[in-house]
Amino acid sequence: MRYSLLCCALFSASQAVAGVEEALSDHILPGYAGFAEAAEVLAVTAEADCTPAALRDPWNAAFDAWTEIGDVRMGPSETGALSVAFWPDTRGFTPKTLSRLISSQEEVGTDPTDFAEVSIAARGLFALERMLYDDQFAGYEADSYACTLVQTISADLANQAQALEAGWREGYAEVLRSAGQEGNATYLSEDEALTALYTQVLSSLEFTADSRLGRPLGTFERPRPTRAEAWRSERALRNVRLYADAASAFAHTLADWELPLTEDALARLHDVADRVEDPALQDIDDPSARLRLEIVQQHVRALHDAIEQEIGVPLGLTPGFNSQDGD
Amino acid sequence: MTTRRTFLASLLAASATPAVGWAAVGDPTYLAAAKLANGSYMLAGLREDGSTAFSVPLPARGHAASAHPKRAEAVGFARRPGTYALVVDCRDGEVLHRLAPPADRQFNGHGTFSPDGSLLYTVEQAVEDSAGHIGIWDAAAGYARIGEFASHGVGPHDLRVMPDHQTLVIANGGIQTDKWDRAKLNTDTMRPNLVYTALDGTLLESRELPDFHQNSIRHLALRDDGLVGFAMQWEGEPGMAPPLLALHRRGEELVICEAPLGDELGMDGYAGSVAFSGDGSEIAITSPRGGRIHRFSDSGRFLGAVSRADVCGIASHAGGYMASDGLGGVLLVGPEGARPLARAEAAWDNHLVPIAV
Repeated sequence: MRYSLLCCALFSASQAVAGVEEALSDHILPGYAGFAEAAEVLAVTAEADCTPAALRDPWNAAFDAWTEIGDVRMGPSETGALSVAFWPDTRGFTPKTLSRLISSQEEVGTDPTDFAEVSIAARGLFALERMLYDDQFAGYEADSYACTLVQTISADLANQAQALEAGWREGYAEVLRSAGQEGNATYLSEDEALTALYTQVLSSLEFTADSRLGRPLGTFERPRPTRAEAWRSERALRNVRLYADAASAFAHTLADWELPLTEDALARLHDVADRVEDPALQDIDDPSARLRLEIVQQHVRALHDAIEQEIGVPLGLTPGFNSQDGD
Repeated sequence: MTTRRTFLASLLAASATPAVGWAAVGDPTYLAAAKLANGSYMLAGLREDGSTAFSVPLPARGHAASAHPKRAEAVGFARRPGTYALVVDCRDGEVLHRLAPPADRQFNGHGTFSPDGSLLYTVEQAVEDSAGHIGIWDAAAGYARIGEFASHGVGPHDLRVMPDHQTLVIANGGIQTDKWDRAKLNTDTMRPNLVYTALDGTLLESRELPDFHQNSIRHLALRDDGLVGFAMQWEGEPGMAPPLLALHRRGEELVICEAPLGDELGMDGYAGSVAFSGDGSEIAITSPRGGRIHRFSDSGRFLGAVSRADVCGIASHAGGYMASDGLGGVLLVGPEGARPLARAEAAWDNHLVPIAV
């Protein structure tokens, strides 16, 4: 064990370059391309038929594609991801803004280009989830303003997906590749770029444990099932699995050695997720259902720790000095 | 044996020692503390071009440093609980004085010198109930404690002497902490305030936030004309994306500086430092948690964001701002974006402190 760690440390410098390139070409860039394709299918489908019955499948496919790269928060995605997936909506902006648009039939809801100026809470996958699954919104007629709004949100989502894909491929990928080179003010060394990517993996799993699972779990006395992510579409548990799959796949691109602990942790996470009965996590008022979900949360953290152990430790990567510190 | 006469003679000799100015340690413009790769801590002086003017060892990680305006002397405050502060000679790191707050108090973050360097003001809170106090120390007489007054708020964190040299501005963070484990006790009911006092502690003005009362007022920046900027840290529910910067002028309402929702979310509810730009036309806050710098105009309009991992220190610079981060980077941030100036094999700590010369 000690010997293998030493090996890793010795050739970590050259791995840093390989890790960044592989993360880009094997995970991030194909991820955005896949999402752009799925979002385009959704927009085209909506153009032909705006009803929830027609759009739920392509919407789910777009969401599945999004989870591949949805937790990446750097470069074009640093704020760009939020207008694709605005969650959690702590202040209830999404239903408020949608209601306002619909009740006053605002012009902006009919033009995908102008729609880019609307509050990010009314854009993207979660605005569509409200329109397609929430009883308050989903009963619209085919020739209504709400129908046009759904087409607009879908077209805007496709535009966003395309812009993210291009922003990464034509812009930010180069910022990562040129880490440490003259004038690169984002990454002053190759290690910094690798650390930034590695941090994305860990942050995703932390977000899943703390927010995707932590928010609905609330406290034992007061569980908050409707704080689960995408519970209306019954995707809450699916998202936990898919984001974990993506984090694990991302992690593999950062290492050109085996990650047995990580693979094992991911498999066990799926095993315990299999035991959760309600995919929307709405049954956690029941103590045994709650316990099963807490076990899922523990296994997300275990996956996080495995990745830390198998990638962070050998590469000598540590979390931020100031970001971990309150003041 | 020390007689009264030799004691007095040595005292006289000590006070007669010519004070060593900042020029003697390489003319730094900023002070910054850092953690080195071997786990030890240092205090460094940085120049405007990012180069290191001096570096001396620190015995422990400090919270923030205050620079004496004339002598090459810095005061480093201990991290929570603030049981001591060290006056360090920037030539060699020698600890010249060790300051201890009164028994029922703790230092609570920052301190600042009077413009002539004769006095040091320290923010303190009562151990029992977190009531805020300002301690006054005579920097010309071996940092003897010579007075104190109320900060007119709870849990003060930062203070400055206003450009009129007659007024103090104090950031009362509003957080009451448990005397034993320092847990936050009042985040539901906290009411941070920005306070102005006369130099004798007389309350001149107090401002509370119009909403988002769980936004702890933590750090201050001053412009020559008396415009005050303050940076906040959110203690409420995560994801609320509150504004983290406000501007204030004596006698006027607060100007809350809000970024677009997506940018605000990117800050993760936390601003670590605040500074006006070199020409004073704009102001910026940093978020190490979000890895972002947000720039605003002096009327509170959002100008844009710069991304840099673990960025926290920021200070005025002729070209805009100088920023420092936990990866060792020192960046120049101007209207056209950021440019790296230097990279140290060290993690720069929370603040970049301008040396007023």
